Amino acid sequence: MMAGLKSLQMGSRIARWYSIPLLLVLWQAAVASGLVHSRLLPGPGTVWTALLEETGNGALIHHAGITLARALTGFSLAALIGMPFAIAMARSTLMRNLLEPIFFVGYPVPKIALFPVFTYVFGIGTPSKIAFTFLECLYPIVVTCYFGFRGVETRLIWSAQNCGADRVTILRRVILPAAMPSVFSGLRIALPVSIIVVVITEMIGDSVGLGYYITIWSTRFRFANVYAAIVVIGICGLALDQALLAVRRRALPWQREQS
Amino acid sequence: MKAASVTAQHWLLPALVLAAWQIFGAAGLLPRYLSTPTAIAVALWEIARTGELFAALAVSLFRVAAGFALGTAAGMLLGLAAGMIPAVRHFFDPLVSFLYAIPKVAFLPVLLLLLGLGHASKIALIGFSCFFPVFIAARHAVLSVNRLFLWAARNMGAPPHIILFRVLIPGAAPELFAGIRIALAHAFVVLFAAELIGSKSGLGTIISYGEEWVRFDLMFAGIVCFAALGFLGDRLLLAVRARLLKGQMLATEERLLQ
Repeated sequence: MMAGLKSLQMGSRIARWYSIPLLLVLWQAAVASGLVHSRLLPGPGTVWTALLEETGNGALIHHAGITLARALTGFSLAALIGMPFAIAMARSTLMRNLLEPIFFVGYPVPKIALFPVFTYVFGIGTPSKIAFTFLECLYPIVVTCYFGFRGVETRLIWSAQNCGADRVTILRRVILPAAMPSVFSGLRIALPVSIIVVVITEMIGDSVGLGYYITIWSTRFRFANVYAAIVVIGICGLALDQALLAVRRRALPWQREQS
Repeated sequence: MKAASVTAQHWLLPALVLAAWQIFGAAGLLPRYLSTPTAIAVALWEIARTGELFAALAVSLFRVAAGFALGTAAGMLLGLAAGMIPAVRHFFDPLVSFLYAIPKVAFLPVLLLLLGLGHASKIALIGFSCFFPVFIAARHAVLSVNRLFLWAARNMGAPPHIILFRVLIPGAAPELFAGIRIALAHAFVVLFAAELIGSKSGLGTIISYGEEWVRFDLMFAGIVCFAALGFLGDRLLLAVRARLLKGQMLATEERLLQ
């Protein structure tokens, strides 16, 4: 009975993921039949070989490490600096009036247009990538956290005040924990942004990183390597998201999963 | 607090930055690549007068509008279908969750070779990037429409197309717009990267020509236009949403983002 149920569950899980193998088979068939240009779209087997080879000789790991380090540095800086801004805007009218236009009017502006200026100020290497990732991550973090800190129920703050808590205690023990779910949703929006931004800016101009790797191998017409790098970016994105969810489970055991 | 002093506080930081930029830039204390606000305004006027600006603007606007429209339409249709039909959902879910994590710009070199340096490669890439946030929002929105509304409609004998247009789509609309707004933001990022990496026309080229010719005022003029285009696009979308969703916008804090 149990075994039967298990195999049924396994069966439905396979049924759910059938589209990826199906697409791989179609892809292979299209390449083998000569329908698509095999130089532009090499078959999955060729991509897999390139992935193993380039991981084995360390090239992909080297570039992925640089891209990840840049993305995470920019992201962490944005989280560390953005959170105090969000708290200040939520708690003080003066700060809100001063900063609101910068964060709310600036929110829909495509900040990528400023990247050329960043390369002049910070150089084309790592510093401009980190600074730009910081800017791109700062907006979603500040805006989402701000709504989280504003949304803390006034009742909770009042009862803490009634119990004689001072401002610091209220911030640490009431406002921060109550706003945590919003903080994590802001971080979850910003984390993939950081990887996307680093890869794009590396494609625009750099000599290391996965974005550079994609550009250089596509100019050499070795598209198997390009697709291998794309797979690596996808894996990095999934891994970071899962890591953040794991941190949230530890930090917010009371909140149910909603992914 | 008086409204006038609130407005003054709103404008304080931007005005200070602009003034400092102008004063220090004109005094030669800033690096040359930062130019000055007045020089940028002059450059803007110059490219507006020669018509260069409008030609570039038209090209960029066409690419972003076409890509956004195609990607959003595809994402909306398939996302609504995935929300309503389990078979469609099971086919797309694994593909979307894997592809969503990948920056779509990574496919730019392939698309450039496949479709050339012209409009087609940019439109395809923008459409591809816009598809995912809209698909995810539509799929999730349909699934989270209150089941009671559906049951009520069915009980009263509403045919499927009435349920779709009168229950599901209105119920899903607020979340759908959130997804479309993200897609629009993606569209501009992709447009910029695509025009900077492989293009011979559009706003991105004004910026890169400005860099090449060491005309930093021109580079900034391009940047200002690009930023304004993205900002106005977002405002237009919000205005459309406010018209379509009059009642559903009440009691939300989103007005702050407008």
